[in-house]
Amino acid sequence: MASDVEKEVIRPNDEANLLTAKLGMLWWDSPQGRIWIGRIRDNVPFIAITLVILLFWFISGDRFMSVRNWTFIAQQTPVLLLLAFAQLLVVTTGSIDISVGSNLGFSAYMAALGMLWFGELGLLVGIFSAVFIGVLNGTIFSLFKISSFVTTLAMLIIVRAVLVIVSDGRSIYVSDQPMSNSNITSIEAKWLLDLGQFPQILYFTVAVAVLLWVVYEKTVFGQQLKALGGNEKVLRLTGISVNWFKIQVFAAAGFMVGLASFINLARSGAATVQAGEMLELDAIAAVALGGTVLTGGYGSVLKTVVGALTLTIVANGLTIAGVPPSWSRIARGILLITAIAISLNRKQIDVVK
Amino acid sequence: MNSTSQPILEVNGVSKAFGGVEALREGSLKLFPGEVLAIVGANGAGKSTLIKIIAGVLAPDRGYISIRGNRITRQDHSVGFIRQMGVEVVYQDLAIVPNMTAPYNLFLGRIPRKFGIFVDEKKMQAKTREVLADLKVETVQSLKRPISEMSGGQQQSIAIGRAIAWGKEIVILDEPTAALGPNETQQVERVINEIRKRNTATILISHNLDQVFRLADRLVVVHQGNTSREFLRNEVNIDELVKAITTG
Repeated sequence: MASDVEKEVIRPNDEANLLTAKLGMLWWDSPQGRIWIGRIRDNVPFIAITLVILLFWFISGDRFMSVRNWTFIAQQTPVLLLLAFAQLLVVTTGSIDISVGSNLGFSAYMAALGMLWFGELGLLVGIFSAVFIGVLNGTIFSLFKISSFVTTLAMLIIVRAVLVIVSDGRSIYVSDQPMSNSNITSIEAKWLLDLGQFPQILYFTVAVAVLLWVVYEKTVFGQQLKALGGNEKVLRLTGISVNWFKIQVFAAAGFMVGLASFINLARSGAATVQAGEMLELDAIAAVALGGTVLTGGYGSVLKTVVGALTLTIVANGLTIAGVPPSWSRIARGILLITAIAISLNRKQIDVVK
Repeated sequence: MNSTSQPILEVNGVSKAFGGVEALREGSLKLFPGEVLAIVGANGAGKSTLIKIIAGVLAPDRGYISIRGNRITRQDHSVGFIRQMGVEVVYQDLAIVPNMTAPYNLFLGRIPRKFGIFVDEKKMQAKTREVLADLKVETVQSLKRPISEMSGGQQQSIAIGRAIAWGKEIVILDEPTAALGPNETQQVERVINEIRKRNTATILISHNLDQVFRLADRLVVVHQGNTSREFLRNEVNIDELVKAITTG
């Protein structure tokens, strides 16, 4: 690398380079500078979350930096984080799943319906539904060779519509005592509502995060995720069944959505037609804020946690600071673009589509 | 490599047409253990069709290949089967997964497992060091970093190392140094000489005739779909070879 740089600098016809040679090398183009830029780029998620916390602490003081508010953030983050985990699995392979929000709404409703029919174990119906939609996504995407964006966009629309049909627009409520009003469909499950409260919700999410970290970093499955994002053709030539693997990836993502829908049901106490709407965008944003390159091949569970937290903190901080919701959304959009812009090494990208 | 030993690979009168165009006509060659056989020819002469048939990517219209004396039937002529028979190809641009580590690339498709699901990192690292030492490739970089951070020569060495690390007897190298600088080319050429010592047979496709003369024991010229000429390295000079390539 160093010799390349020197060759460039002394090329005589190039005025700009001559100028650089006179002034001395630009610091960020020197080998030393590149190493530092690389380090900063690797740590953007940690720098961003620190800045965001300091900023809101400065603006809102103790109203932001209170035990009560942080408890609230800890309750607010898990659903988004679990969806971001689902997204992380898919994005690492270079694909995308924008159906996670619809899938969440649908499988939360199926979980509630399952509990209505079969009692507590009926909750598993929700997880199965989520995995089933994941398998469907993966199969259509890999066998029919339709891009994951288009496949899951179609699934986003279809699954939400199926939810409306199945539920007929009515919600199912979770309550901690028998309900007397027969106009309301409800299930009695105090333990589920308790799970949706701090600190249980946090324990659950941390446990899932640790398990996912092990899967992502230490297993053959996790390695294969990154390799698929890195060079799919090479994997095919070495005889790895790429299509089957893609289905597994989307199924695993579906499983994560299933866990998210379960936590969403516990926290909100209701399965509604709107549950999870627009959450797919927040999930993608959390993954991107976590420094995961959307073109695949790289990713980090820990940084995705930081990304989801950052997103939640920004929404929370802006609300406390009295910023209207629409402006808050604009601010979060700008934050997303900034984060991606910093984390991408554009010198290595030839074509953007 | 003398004519009395058994060929490890034999290509017998293989033809292949695409539409009306006959890309390969009655191509034949023999490959012996421990030799480096260069296939040379102009662009479009039929080199890559020949290689793809040997690798199993294409099935021949007529003729057949045999490996260790076993004739490969039409039904068995596939990449999977021929790989099982011990033929490994290092493709020009499709050799490595850049974002993964050198050990991962070496074990591509054969990752050793612990308890069925976990990656056996220790085993992979140890084996990688062994292979790199065998091929006399020195690395200063950490084996935990992406392979794209290594030099092109080291990357290609890992790809070649993968081909031979699993006891493969026939290695096909498709333009192994086309994308490399002079130092890195030298490194890869040294690796190729190391494989020769292990009695592995190598087929080298290269446009670089100097390189062909440095490495090959024998040369087969492909011209307009025919395996027209065959030389031992020391019975031909570069001018005669160029003439054979251009006029058949």
